[in-house]
Amino acid sequence: MTTLSAILVGLAMGAVFGFALEKSRVFEPGVIVGQMQLRSFIMLKVFLTAVATGLVVLAALHGFGFAKLFPKATIFGADIVGGLVLGAGITLAGACPGTVLAQIGAGYRDAWFTLIGGLAGALTFSYLEPALNPILLSGGPGRLTLNGVFGVPFWPLALGFAALLVAGLVALERWRPWRSEMGENYDGLLPPAQPAPLVGAGRRQPA
Amino acid sequence: MREARMYAPAAKAWSPYAAGVVIGLLQIPAFLLIDTALGASSSYVTVSGHLAAIADPGIKAIKYVARHLEGAKNWWQVAVVVGIALGALLSSRLSGTARSAPSPVWQRAIGRHAPPTRFAMAFAGGFLMLLGARIADGCTSGHGISGSAQLAIGSFIAVAAMFGGAMLTAQFLRRV
Repeated sequence: MTTLSAILVGLAMGAVFGFALEKSRVFEPGVIVGQMQLRSFIMLKVFLTAVATGLVVLAALHGFGFAKLFPKATIFGADIVGGLVLGAGITLAGACPGTVLAQIGAGYRDAWFTLIGGLAGALTFSYLEPALNPILLSGGPGRLTLNGVFGVPFWPLALGFAALLVAGLVALERWRPWRSEMGENYDGLLPPAQPAPLVGAGRRQPA
Repeated sequence: MREARMYAPAAKAWSPYAAGVVIGLLQIPAFLLIDTALGASSSYVTVSGHLAAIADPGIKAIKYVARHLEGAKNWWQVAVVVGIALGALLSSRLSGTARSAPSPVWQRAIGRHAPPTRFAMAFAGGFLMLLGARIADGCTSGHGISGSAQLAIGSFIAVAAMFGGAMLTAQFLRRV
């Protein structure tokens, strides 16, 4: 595929991605911070549904021989350290590297600062990569997968895992229906929980 | 949902399950047309690398940067993230949920309304996000959505660390 046609396919796929992110409200900082404080579960619902769908899609594509898979190499230190730093950034930004673009599209002004910070972070990593590579970014057991470890074909394990995720999502939805988590302004902000009255403490005014 | 039918383009919200299915189905064109998995964070290396090369052409000598600068897959991912902004723009205009000022969640979370505070926090958040994503070699999309769907052990570890780091950091914010 030429670069130009790849760009056109990318724009179309991104537009669908962005449309779905906006409609699900998962791009809202209130939803993302709420998830990390375990007050909202919209992010987990979108995320796990996307994973389950991907598992079914890839079970079919790979099982029938239409596509090969590209699991990333396991590098324990890099996966753990990188994941922790990425997670800290997600909470402070109230975004992920993809959803920040949805925030920009929806109009959030502060998302431009997240984007510029992201470019600066990627650039900083680029300059550090030659030094970090031997100490943090290499070694490890290679492209380790769950099916490889168990020595079974990909597709049955993928379908089984997808079924497990769907069961979890059904339970999650029963416990916390998604409509109850949207908030009046669809930003994932719910009325603050009434603080338990403290004896002798002054009533805190809402900011 | 009161205003428009469920799943209409003008609806203010779709169920997270419908949106998740749509996102997961994007793996079909990614694997069949582009021969790769859905991802977002390496596009930041492509874009920042090209911008930095204007001032410092020497950056192209870094192999990691060089392999992100050109080629259909790199530009495809840049196009995806640009497309995300366009799709969200369209969706928010159709439903009347366009935003402007920072989300009110920040006033609750940090107790301040001054935009410069929020802008600085957003910059720092973005910086850590991409620094971490590049160390881990993937983000919520590349490791989270795509890596998990390929049953990659490294992606499960990265996702657990990501949620762990995010939840720990959220403890330092006020409860929203």
